[in-house]
Amino acid sequence: MSHAYLVVGKRIIQPDAAAKATGTALYASDISIPGMLIGKVLRSPYPHARIKRIDKSKAENLSGVEAVITPEDTAAWQKFDRGLKDLPMIAGGYTVPPDESVLNERARHFGDGIAAVAATDEHIAEEALDLIEVEYELLPFVIDPQEAMRPDAAQISDFAKRNIGKHMSYAFPAGDVQKAFKEAECIVKGAFSTTKQEHCTAETAASVARLDVNNRLTVWSQCQLPHLARREIAHIFNMPVHRVKIITPFIGGSFGQRGSLCAEPICVALALKTGKPVKLVFSREENFIALESRTGFQYTLRMGFQRDGTLTAMEVYMLGRLGGYMGCGPMASAIGMIFGLGHYRCPNRAGEADMVLTNTPMSGAFRGFGNPEIMWGIEQLVDEAAEKLGMDPIKIRLKNIKKAGEIANMGLPLESTYLERCITQGAEAIGWKEKWRKRKEGTIRRGVGMATMTHCSGAAPLYLDHSNAWIKLNEDGSADLVVHPAPVGQHIWGALSQIAAEELGIHAEDVNIVTGDTDVTLFEYGSDASRSTYVIGNATLMAARQAKEQLLERAAEMLGVSAQELEINDRQIFSSIGQKKRISVADVCYDAIYNFKGECLNISGKCSWESKWNSPPTGAFFAEVEVNIETGRVTVLRFVTAMDCGKAINPMAVEGQLEGGIQQGIGYGLTEDYVINKDTGVVETDNYDSYKMPGMMDMPETQIIIIDEPDPKGPFGAKGVGEPGMVGVAPAIANAIYDAIGVRIKDLPMTPEKVLKALESS
Amino acid sequence: MKRMATFLVNEKHYELAIEPHMLLIEVLRDKLGLTGTKQGCEIGNCGACTVLIDGKPVLSCLTLALTVEGRHITTIEGLSQGTSLHPIQKAFIDHGAIQCGFCTPGMILSAKALLDKNPNPNEKEVKQALSGNLCRCTGYVKIIEAVLAAPEVISKEAKT
Repeated sequence: MSHAYLVVGKRIIQPDAAAKATGTALYASDISIPGMLIGKVLRSPYPHARIKRIDKSKAENLSGVEAVITPEDTAAWQKFDRGLKDLPMIAGGYTVPPDESVLNERARHFGDGIAAVAATDEHIAEEALDLIEVEYELLPFVIDPQEAMRPDAAQISDFAKRNIGKHMSYAFPAGDVQKAFKEAECIVKGAFSTTKQEHCTAETAASVARLDVNNRLTVWSQCQLPHLARREIAHIFNMPVHRVKIITPFIGGSFGQRGSLCAEPICVALALKTGKPVKLVFSREENFIALESRTGFQYTLRMGFQRDGTLTAMEVYMLGRLGGYMGCGPMASAIGMIFGLGHYRCPNRAGEADMVLTNTPMSGAFRGFGNPEIMWGIEQLVDEAAEKLGMDPIKIRLKNIKKAGEIANMGLPLESTYLERCITQGAEAIGWKEKWRKRKEGTIRRGVGMATMTHCSGAAPLYLDHSNAWIKLNEDGSADLVVHPAPVGQHIWGALSQIAAEELGIHAEDVNIVTGDTDVTLFEYGSDASRSTYVIGNATLMAARQAKEQLLERAAEMLGVSAQELEINDRQIFSSIGQKKRISVADVCYDAIYNFKGECLNISGKCSWESKWNSPPTGAFFAEVEVNIETGRVTVLRFVTAMDCGKAINPMAVEGQLEGGIQQGIGYGLTEDYVINKDTGVVETDNYDSYKMPGMMDMPETQIIIIDEPDPKGPFGAKGVGEPGMVGVAPAIANAIYDAIGVRIKDLPMTPEKVLKALESS
Repeated sequence: MKRMATFLVNEKHYELAIEPHMLLIEVLRDKLGLTGTKQGCEIGNCGACTVLIDGKPVLSCLTLALTVEGRHITTIEGLSQGTSLHPIQKAFIDHGAIQCGFCTPGMILSAKALLDKNPNPNEKEVKQALSGNLCRCTGYVKIIEAVLAAPEVISKEAKT
């Protein structure tokens, strides 16, 4: 049961909220430096083309243009992987070959960067782009990953035979799958496909770079992994790490897309060429075509059960479309298989994936990173099995979900799980008993559906899960907490200040977050894998604990008692064994700093934390939908998310993550379709007029249930909650559609056309 | 050819030399440094660039600056009085309606236009009035709650 906390669990206001509400918060796109130039990028209109000739003289002669760079100008710099995986970070020596240049002499996808300009203003920069003359040699191209693996397909990379950029095997195979399927009493299988969902971050990719007077490079970067960005930028531009400084401004949304380098490489190149500060802000169209978005998969999935509903076998083969370069894409299959095949208790598991290069924009990390993709199929097949076996979808899941202590998806013990409560409470909230299988006749039919999931709290043991926190106490009893999560909107500053304050017995507003500058912050892997609260939070807790020990030792000396008997609460240190002695945190801190007895001390704690645990959050999703069988239109009426994310450090922030997950999940499920013209390779959906993400009117009534039970390993019992909220949304809707109209759609998104087609063929 | 124009932004007059093709968002962000007005899509679909012209919400990325010469332009920077926040800003902060914050200025200004016209809107009216503002973080739930709670904050402040 939860302790009575002073700060943890409170719905505190975020330290950065007022700056954002008043428009004073500075994002990368808002940064302005005297003498700053504006960068623009010339992008390939073809999916695969070699530059035969490029003439930049006219552009260079335009008044106001300071630099025009082409692939020739960037050749001395290192090739790289924008997903930061050409340099070691992942266990087992996984790296990808660096296959991208700052500018590329062979465009491998529509929108690939060919040349760039820096000019005194945006209009001049745009005019200069028009003046660059490029003669292309058009090359054969391939859009579909199946076709890309054929021997006669266009070859995209030197190292990838049959365009297979990476073959990935499931990391935790078990048992004898073929034997298990032979013995299974019920087998369900299906072919599923998922879309290249675009992140639609509110702010587009943006960066500012400046070469300082002492020849150091400062980069305002939106990267979620600032210290890895620093290492990669130093590597690309042949600099020692200490010559690169990353500043993390406010970030206008990320969801995994900024886990890779985005605007930084070209922006830095322009700054180095001109010697002047350069700002590069991508247009919305560039955000769609020149960045990574969710990996589109085609996969076949098979599950075997005993007659009583016990799951005995799972097998998947995934074919993923990477796009023109490797990037983060390959990991989407590895992680998807880990999450999907590791969700239920199942003794026989196997999975393989081919991640294939194609002449399409790149694929990478997007909230859930493979998990929404694979649960899309798994949770539909579990429903199919339940129907075949004459079971309630709830019962079959309750039978197969893992219990605490079993081995979880990431190969580590499942520290805690309250998924059973998520399922039963969520079912109650949606009205499962009254609504499921109560089919209505007529044009508009209602149904309910559900899905479950397990995710992660950090990347251990897959990635090097290394965070640092340093906390110092000031003379008035306040604290400076030096950490470097990426402030992408997940309320992480508030959560970390709550964790530090709770441990130190002070108030959350007493904690000042010092962050966003790699010159000051210690190494930080960064904010992805739903890790910030759990891993950086544990680092913060350990650092605060060290400071607390020093604080109590000092207080004990001042009070003439033993440190063991002291406690801190509400900024006061007092003896717990009946003595009325007490002293304020402020008085102890002041005495330690302004100490005229020769015992000066700035009370502080520092923790280098490598997470060896990974407590997976678990959750259940429930949708109630209405399907119009004449138009095929699906309306989500109600959505319930029940989440076991450990102790909620700030329930308001947790609700925000889960509510946002519902929006992204509904878009993924119903409307967001990234369309690439098969004949031309051109991306046809490159802004919100053609790519439809849900607006306010598209949102259903929502209900969030937080189980709020502490996990043994998380800071004050917290687990990760950044990604889980969207994982089960689309399959819950698919299952609700099936309940309403009796047809299954296995191809995302579930557009009216697909609903009607499925109805016709049923 | 540049020409001189006078803009009335947040109750202050600015005389500027601008090109006729300049958009209002460029004048606000680049000429006046009012970077609270955000650029999200450039085609009038996301609402991040919303400002108020004579109290009505307008997309500054689609508005030629010269067409609003002399009109009352309100940006997010004009809402708070010194360090004292506008009640709608307070409601957004208190309800956790702000995550990445990039859509927030536009959301708040659309909400202000609504509440100035309709001081006690219902949920449907809020959704309709703010449907032109896209948010990718919040699922809109807490934004709607904040706008519905704002009238109470406004009336409390009016009393004190």
